[in-house]
Amino acid sequence: MAKTYDYLFKLLLIGDSGVGKTSILFRFSEDAFNISFISTIGIDFKIRTIDLDGKKVKLQIWDTAGQERFRTITTAYYRGSMGIMLVYDVTNEKSFENIKNWIRNIEENASADVEKMILGNKCDLEAKRQVSKERGEQLAIEYQIKFIETSAKDSLNVESAFYTLARDIKAKMEKKQEASNPAGARSGAHQIRANEQQRKPTSWLSRCSLL
Amino acid sequence: MNFQSKANKYVCPNDRQLSLRAKLRTGWSAARSEPPLTPSEREAIAAVVKRAEKIDEVEAKRVGRLVARLEGMRRSAQGPAPRTCLLCGEASRLLAPLRTCSICRHTACSKCVIENLTHRSPLYSREAYMCNLCAETREMWKKSGAWFFKSLPKYILPDRRTTGRYLDSELARSLQEAGNSSNDGKTDSEPGSPLSIHAPSFSRQASNTESRKSITSPHDTHYEWSETDILSHGFSGLSLHRQDSLTQRPLAALKRTGSKGSAYSLRSIRKEMKPTTQVERPPTIPDAGFGTLEIKLAYENATSSLAVTVLRARGLIGMDMTGLSDPFCRLEVLPREGTYSNRLRTKTVHKTKNPEFNETLHFFGITESDLAVKSLEIVLFDDDTYGCDEMGSATVALRECTKSPAQLRLALSGSSGSEPTGPRVLLALCYSTKRRALVVTICRGADLPSQDSNGYSDPFVKLHLDPDPYHKKHKTSIKWRNLNPVWNEEFLFETRPTELSRQNLTLTVWDKDYGKPNDFLGSLVLGASSKGRRLKHWMDCIKFPDHRHESWHSLTDTQHL
Repeated sequence: MAKTYDYLFKLLLIGDSGVGKTSILFRFSEDAFNISFISTIGIDFKIRTIDLDGKKVKLQIWDTAGQERFRTITTAYYRGSMGIMLVYDVTNEKSFENIKNWIRNIEENASADVEKMILGNKCDLEAKRQVSKERGEQLAIEYQIKFIETSAKDSLNVESAFYTLARDIKAKMEKKQEASNPAGARSGAHQIRANEQQRKPTSWLSRCSLL
Repeated sequence: MNFQSKANKYVCPNDRQLSLRAKLRTGWSAARSEPPLTPSEREAIAAVVKRAEKIDEVEAKRVGRLVARLEGMRRSAQGPAPRTCLLCGEASRLLAPLRTCSICRHTACSKCVIENLTHRSPLYSREAYMCNLCAETREMWKKSGAWFFKSLPKYILPDRRTTGRYLDSELARSLQEAGNSSNDGKTDSEPGSPLSIHAPSFSRQASNTESRKSITSPHDTHYEWSETDILSHGFSGLSLHRQDSLTQRPLAALKRTGSKGSAYSLRSIRKEMKPTTQVERPPTIPDAGFGTLEIKLAYENATSSLAVTVLRARGLIGMDMTGLSDPFCRLEVLPREGTYSNRLRTKTVHKTKNPEFNETLHFFGITESDLAVKSLEIVLFDDDTYGCDEMGSATVALRECTKSPAQLRLALSGSSGSEPTGPRVLLALCYSTKRRALVVTICRGADLPSQDSNGYSDPFVKLHLDPDPYHKKHKTSIKWRNLNPVWNEEFLFETRPTELSRQNLTLTVWDKDYGKPNDFLGSLVLGASSKGRRLKHWMDCIKFPDHRHESWHSLTDTQHL
């Protein structure tokens, strides 16, 4: 345990059963791929330390079971995670449609400022593709979430997906510090005032529209 | 999340939840949808959770090191004074002018300050400096993950024998020793000055005693009880007590998943595994830092009763300011049968970390077949007027009582249930050094009791500091017909950090009624005299000013004013 690191980010992989969450994680952590399908029991996690702008970032990536019977266990891990990857299978229409439900699920269970990302996995299987890349992009734009198509089998974009998410979290962290920085004292007051200013006009508008 | 899943067992979920569940096809009855986990599955999950706990411990230690490092810096800092450096105490000179830190607004010399490059915008160009102390605090905030969780995660302070007392080495030590005398002088000469914006009064005293001790007896293993120990131990204890958000919650979730009979899942798995491994080698128990507990078990066939003698506990974690606790044990035979709960508790032993209970409790109606399958859970609580905090727990399989030496020593393990349950409020504290005020944000409430005939309450919160020279009292708005209100209202209490360690923040939650007196819903006291979670929150707020510390606290129904 002598290995030190600067930050610990907790990430979470969610998505329907069989979309390849475990494979993605396996590829990222061990750089390997296993063709056989072994359903995850409840939860699992893997660790990998990456280097981001000279900082050592330890990623603790939680892999959840897509199966419903583990839902209670898996949702318990939403709150503690800083980044969530929503995975769907490009050869499975249903898993893509379910992304919306997963996002609702995140909204209900995860903390509000969690970083999200959508992954369309198995993009190597062009012949069996049911969900086009454009549709994935469309969905991502709709929710304002980053999107990337990956293939755990061909090791396509898996690294970059995790790096992107980690970088986003790190950026958010820096930004948060900045926000609280111009002095805690003022910032508090600032925020309140800013909110109030925002609130007032909207209330005016709403009143107008009602009339 | 917590209250929703708790509510849905008996209460029909709201429309939003229903529609979501319809989409997810989880069904709306919690009992129906999930077949109970098989033992092998439970074991697999337990293994993962255990692995995660190890990671969390490493992380907690790392955060502890960060906290200790910062504390060391703070202790060795000279304290703010006009025309001298906050950290090294160097006086202002013509060629080396002092800079003003843009965060704490104190002056520091050019050596103890870093340029805040990110603030090169014209707006902040004047104050683009940050003192090392503030920089370190920020760095700690980032590295510990507190930026995300909005309060410090659990941490374990490093053992002082393994790591040096001052991580910033010799320089800090020499500085401190040199500085102590001058410090004392300062404290005496200007008692009214806000000398310790950064280090509240007690920590400064602590630093003095500590350094003195380090000179006189540097090699003491079992040092005497002093203020320093109390502080650091109290804290390490508290931090241990505090649970990580990730590991513990799933246990609760797992508990929920199973249905009543075979229900109690993960926790019980661990329970069943633990005692067997521990009992085989009683003399050397791996102490997880929560202390040990000695009990005696005796089963009587004739009356089918189990007599449990709780002898003593050793090395419990400290819960209050003085590092002591008021422990009592709650015993329960698991799994429960139906709704009937078989719980017994010992008397409270006050103000000790090594209580002698010497109390025998009898469980009746325990058959011999029960002995094979059931287990005894012992949870230690800290008795407090404002809610009890869990200090640790242990579990023994009942079959142990059939073995020859029925006297057992158990290592206590960390408490479960990170977030309080029942009526609770989410509270954010922030001491603002600029406004010289404590900013209290009442964020939200959950699971409040209902007091009106419509099954709801109309809650609002009253809060005041005690003692407060300004006699300020605040009230939130009233949230009508709501048991889970979201207030997000901020209140200011002007005070000094030195005062803060003597003050208590009292919150009372009320149900607004017209035509009759308001109904009392619950209360909460945070402050130096409070304990456990509440004390930790309070001390974090004092120790790390200008940061928002968010935490849930359970309400108690005792009205104390």
